Amino acid sequence: MDDLIEDGKNNKWVMCKFCESKILRPSTASYEERELFLPFMQKKKDLAGTEHKGETLKRHWLVADMFAFENVGFSMTVDSIKYLACADCERGPIGWHDINDKTKFYIAVERVEHRQITQ
Amino acid sequence: MAKKSYDYLFKLLLIGDSGVGKTCILFRFSDDAFNTTFISTIGIDFKIKTIELQGKKIKLQIWDTAGQERFHTITTSYYRGAMGIMLVYDITQEKTFDNISKWLRNIEEHANEDVEKMILGNKCDMDDRRVVSKERGEQIAKEHGIRFLETSAKTNVNIEQAFYNLAEDILKKQLSKDNEETSQNIHVNNTQEKKGGCC
Ligand SMILES: Nc1nc2c(ncn2[C@@H]2O[C@H](COP(=O)(O)OP(=O)(O)O)[C@@H](O)[C@H]2O)c(=O)[nH]1
Ligand SMILES: [Mg+2]
Ligand SMILES: [Zn+2]
Repeated sequence: MDDLIEDGKNNKWVMCKFCESKILRPSTASYEERELFLPFMQKKKDLAGTEHKGETLKRHWLVADMFAFENVGFSMTVDSIKYLACADCERGPIGWHDINDKTKFYIAVERVEHRQITQ
Repeated sequence: MAKKSYDYLFKLLLIGDSGVGKTCILFRFSDDAFNTTFISTIGIDFKIKTIELQGKKIKLQIWDTAGQERFHTITTSYYRGAMGIMLVYDITQEKTFDNISKWLRNIEEHANEDVEKMILGNKCDMDDRRVVSKERGEQIAKEHGIRFLETSAKTNVNIEQAFYNLAEDILKKQLSKDNEETSQNIHVNNTQEKKGGCC
């Protein structure tokens, strides 16, 4: 984890694991530990009978403004939660937002890729 | 700290009959393999995309309807703040093309009057099932002074292009507005200076 953080912020590009869509620029998000429940990303056929299964994830990138994202999708609201997804391939959830707190948008570290890009 | 990381924010909407492909246009056409994930089950509300035009960094916030179009109940709250609208029909369904005029009236009634519009004839990959010719699409767009493109969300034809074109038109409008404001400011400054000079 240490190799991803510099001055409390992400030191690499945060990207989709599946299609290389860019989600966050380097040093735009702060690292935050908080237990958040995210449904699994697999297809439903693998989830047969385990409809609402997910996992609690602790390590996240946090931004205070939704327009800090380069590219991201917001799901419909479920019990005040909007799940975040890749803006290009729709896969997710990769993140979490409670509509009652408009200053917190989380991306789960485990569900994204981190990459150094020389522009 | 509060420095904005972008120059402009444009809110865009997708409008048109149910089934024309709005949701597929918003996302890269996902085949059935992904079509059953948690996310696609609950549905997407909007997405944020960042593009660059004329050296300006632009955030697009693009909204899909939550199926209200089925009941033709799209009203003022959905249109609020919209700066651009993609009006979509299906080239294989006559009815969806006929309804374009209805949607244009709906937009006129509910949206901001200087909203930029664009008409998309979607599913152009299905040429064998085409019932609306490209010429008819171009014609109706011309009548209303709107841009037109045929698109395919499935084979990814003109999708990116469409969003860039719409954003370009909005940016053009925005830049000329900004210029007006700047020149007004300069004008005010000049008169003040003159005043200062003679007193
Ligand atoms: N062949 C083809 N099918 C499409 C295209 N876009 C959407 N579809 C299909 O049309 C149907 C309706 O699409 P959807 O995006 O849900 O339409 P919406 O109701 O306007 O959101 C789905 O079965 C899509 O797979 C396209 O460009 N080409
Ligand atoms: Mg839809
Ligand atoms: Zn992706």
